[in-house]
Amino acid sequence: MSAVADPPLPQPDLLAAIPRLRRYARVLTGDINRADDLVQDTLARAWEKRRLWAAGSDLRAWLFTIMHNVFINQRALARRDQQQVSLDDGGEGDEAWQIPVRAGQYTRVELVELVEHVGRLPADQREVLLLAAVEELKYEEIALALAIPVGTVMSRLSRARAKLRSAFADAPAGSAALKVVK
Amino acid sequence: MNPLPVTDADLNAYADGQLEASRVTAVEDAMARDPAVAAWVADARRQNAGLRDALDPWLAEPIPERLLAAAAGPAAAAQGTVRRWLAPLVAMAATLLVGIGAGWFARDFDLERAGTPTTFTRQAALTHALYAADANRPVEVWAPEEKRLVTWLSKRLGFAVNAPDLNSNGFALVGGRLVAGHQNPTALFMYENSDKQRLSLQVRKQPVDGGEVAFRYAVENGVGVFYWIEDNCSYALSGNLDRAQLLAVGRVVYGQLAALEAAHSK
Repeated sequence: MSAVADPPLPQPDLLAAIPRLRRYARVLTGDINRADDLVQDTLARAWEKRRLWAAGSDLRAWLFTIMHNVFINQRALARRDQQQVSLDDGGEGDEAWQIPVRAGQYTRVELVELVEHVGRLPADQREVLLLAAVEELKYEEIALALAIPVGTVMSRLSRARAKLRSAFADAPAGSAALKVVK
Repeated sequence: MNPLPVTDADLNAYADGQLEASRVTAVEDAMARDPAVAAWVADARRQNAGLRDALDPWLAEPIPERLLAAAAGPAAAAQGTVRRWLAPLVAMAATLLVGIGAGWFARDFDLERAGTPTTFTRQAALTHALYAADANRPVEVWAPEEKRLVTWLSKRLGFAVNAPDLNSNGFALVGGRLVAGHQNPTALFMYENSDKQRLSLQVRKQPVDGGEVAFRYAVENGVGVFYWIEDNCSYALSGNLDRAQLLAVGRVVYGQLAALEAAHSK
């Protein structure tokens, strides 16, 4: 392989994508440190595979794709190890995550609750919800990134929304105005 | 001829603003006919807005050094020993390349590590840089819904806020959003002129009684910020304009707010 074979990835775009990658990773892993490990692995992988990135196309969407793949590979490996250790885990527990927010980040209770509810969604629904609702990717882009049919994107999104809605159904209507008591 | 029945997929796409044009009427008809459908859409949009409010503050967190190093690529990472001083260089290079935006986060990281406190001015400039550069969604609620925007922000901040009229300065309102501040939520109004230059006015309740502060001016990574405190509220006007231009706009904003205040206290 010659030294000039692969052009470097554009630094500004790559740096600009890092905060979004960290957010996606945190939503996937539910843990700030593991999230940054995942981002680091993703960046390393992106450099290795940079030949596959079509210059001029959306770098962010491509990085999301890589992160998704790195994440499911790592999770598959972890699962295999886990099965040999213990089976008496709490069932759903491996999917749900703890709320990874920093102290003092929110002044509004309902936002904390919303993040908690997102954390209780299965990882595949969490991921689609983040990419559609927060990153505002087109459903077709999400389907490409996750290598699933568009119909599956839609059904996961519907299920995620239905769960968030039912989670809030028993909250009082005025809860949007709640504030953290200082 | 009856249109195809509205599906869950249509409603999701409508709520996310990506429904194909030919289906929009069908969905809007269904919403008009059935309050439950309209409520579903409103709820999905509220969820989206809530998620962004909840997760956007993460974007402003400082980037760890190891990720800056990883972004610099294997050639840089291989030089393990230089990595410690390389990261700030990467950050600086990015700052030079894109001005604000990407490099900003890295720079903030360096500042925080150096113990420089994050001030409202810096926060305002960072927030301005983050949203002014956002092609998709610089604001949460767009100018045509100004009334709803002002009502919503006033409710969230707990006091009446207003979007000053800057048309005389050539800046039209783009819209606004709520920004999670460290202690108090902040309202942001964004403006744009015909050259696509953007300005933002940020308002929040002053956490401690800071008293009156005359106009203060600072430049944070190319973003000029005018900052003042009035009636326990902090105001920051940010933009990539020169001092004189920004000051002219700042005077107009200040004048309009003072006039409004006088009208209310009568």
